[in-house]
Amino acid sequence: MAAPPRTDSSAHDDVPGLSPADYEAFCIFLRERTGLSFTEAKRYYVDRRVGERMAAVGTETFREYLNLLRFQASGEELQLLVNRMTVNETYFFREKYQLDCLVNSALDEVVQGRRPGERVRIWSAGCATGEEPYSIAIMLLEHWRKVDDYDIELYASDIDSHVLARAREGIYEERSLHALPRDLVTKYFTQIDDHRWQIMEELRESIDFSLVNLADPRQVAPFRDFDVIFCRNLLIYFDELGRRQAASMFYDALSPCGFIALGHSESMSRMSSLFVPRRFPDAILYQKPRT
Amino acid sequence: MALVKARKAGMPSPVEDAGDPLVRLDDADPARRRRAAHELGERADAVAALAVRLAREEDPSVREVLLTALVRIGSAEATAALTPLLASEDVGLRNGVIESLQQMPAAVVMPVVAPLLQSADSDLRIFSAQLVGRLPHPDRLPLLTGLVERDPHVNVCLAAVEALMEAGHPEVLPSLERLAGRFPNDPFVAFSVDAARRLFAGS
Repeated sequence: MAAPPRTDSSAHDDVPGLSPADYEAFCIFLRERTGLSFTEAKRYYVDRRVGERMAAVGTETFREYLNLLRFQASGEELQLLVNRMTVNETYFFREKYQLDCLVNSALDEVVQGRRPGERVRIWSAGCATGEEPYSIAIMLLEHWRKVDDYDIELYASDIDSHVLARAREGIYEERSLHALPRDLVTKYFTQIDDHRWQIMEELRESIDFSLVNLADPRQVAPFRDFDVIFCRNLLIYFDELGRRQAASMFYDALSPCGFIALGHSESMSRMSSLFVPRRFPDAILYQKPRT
Repeated sequence: MALVKARKAGMPSPVEDAGDPLVRLDDADPARRRRAAHELGERADAVAALAVRLAREEDPSVREVLLTALVRIGSAEATAALTPLLASEDVGLRNGVIESLQQMPAAVVMPVVAPLLQSADSDLRIFSAQLVGRLPHPDRLPLLTGLVERDPHVNVCLAAVEALMEAGHPEVLPSLERLAGRFPNDPFVAFSVDAARRLFAGS
């Protein structure tokens, strides 16, 4: 376990954690650069992870470490810290009712008026280790009766480069697969040892995984014309303004009448007035108005 | 068909607008106005232009970005530009302004909004009370209890009661009891004060 970070003030050198001023400066910096927002309630969590990274890079003071984050040309250390600050716990078919909603209701609306062979574009924003986009792919193949009628593009993104590497690799342990029916595990995975399965190459190749910071307009600018966006349990890490800006960004990324799915504890109406809630038999989605 | 290899290279190129965003703010295309407002959220000198556009903007998606831009600027000038819109007859705009002001620094917003609690317009006092109730500021409780104790309009008092209950401070209960005495025949006051008694009963 790494030592807690030392503060700049000699008066606080023996006090674990950041000084209040340093903590505030760090939170402001992190929010501005990444959109991630941490309050005083997360103090211990933040202290621990900053301390680990300070020990790893060998900086003596927090101010020195903040300068590294701020000015390092490659941004490598900021990326490593972000990787430690974000939680990536998920599993296949998590909150499956929304996936049911996708294949039972939403996509049928999306393709109304489209000719066979036209494109359907779906984005898993904050995909972590890939369980969500692969779950979407499996649900489409297994349960959407029009799946062969359209060209379906699946995009997935995360701010954490480590989890993206794992997502591309597609290797999972039992914990990630517990909600997936065994026949689907057998059908879509190859067992590589007693505890691990790898998802089939065809699915790994079909999804475009990319490193995206949702708080950076330049990084999200290429994401356009989406029919459905999944952004579940990600915006809980953003503050009110960050969520509002993210909602606006999703608005720009969606096609007219496109849908966004949020986590079960999240509500778009508390973030933005841009979307219309749509209650389907399986779930509530938020829809971008036609005009 | 079915799942195809997705590649971002196949997506349309991001739109980049040329020219001054202050000019594009009045473009006929709502998408261009949205992008202009987003750019101007990084310019403190754009407050006046954003506020002028906001007052006459009818497209909800553009309005949202205009409000967000003013929140991002977050200055006293931006606060002062938003507060007159609390008196707007447009419910959507008014609610958007209240939500936006509560997302701006309370230390900046409170000095601008607190005087509105003395406005001659009771509706404006109601909206201001709703906003004050959401600001994390040391003046919040004294300002709201002041309304409860002294405001002559019962609906203003009820708005303050609701805000005080949301704040969850049992020490305001004596003020609420005195309100019940000021409006003894008003069933809504009796209901609200009783709800507050029950809320704070376990304190």
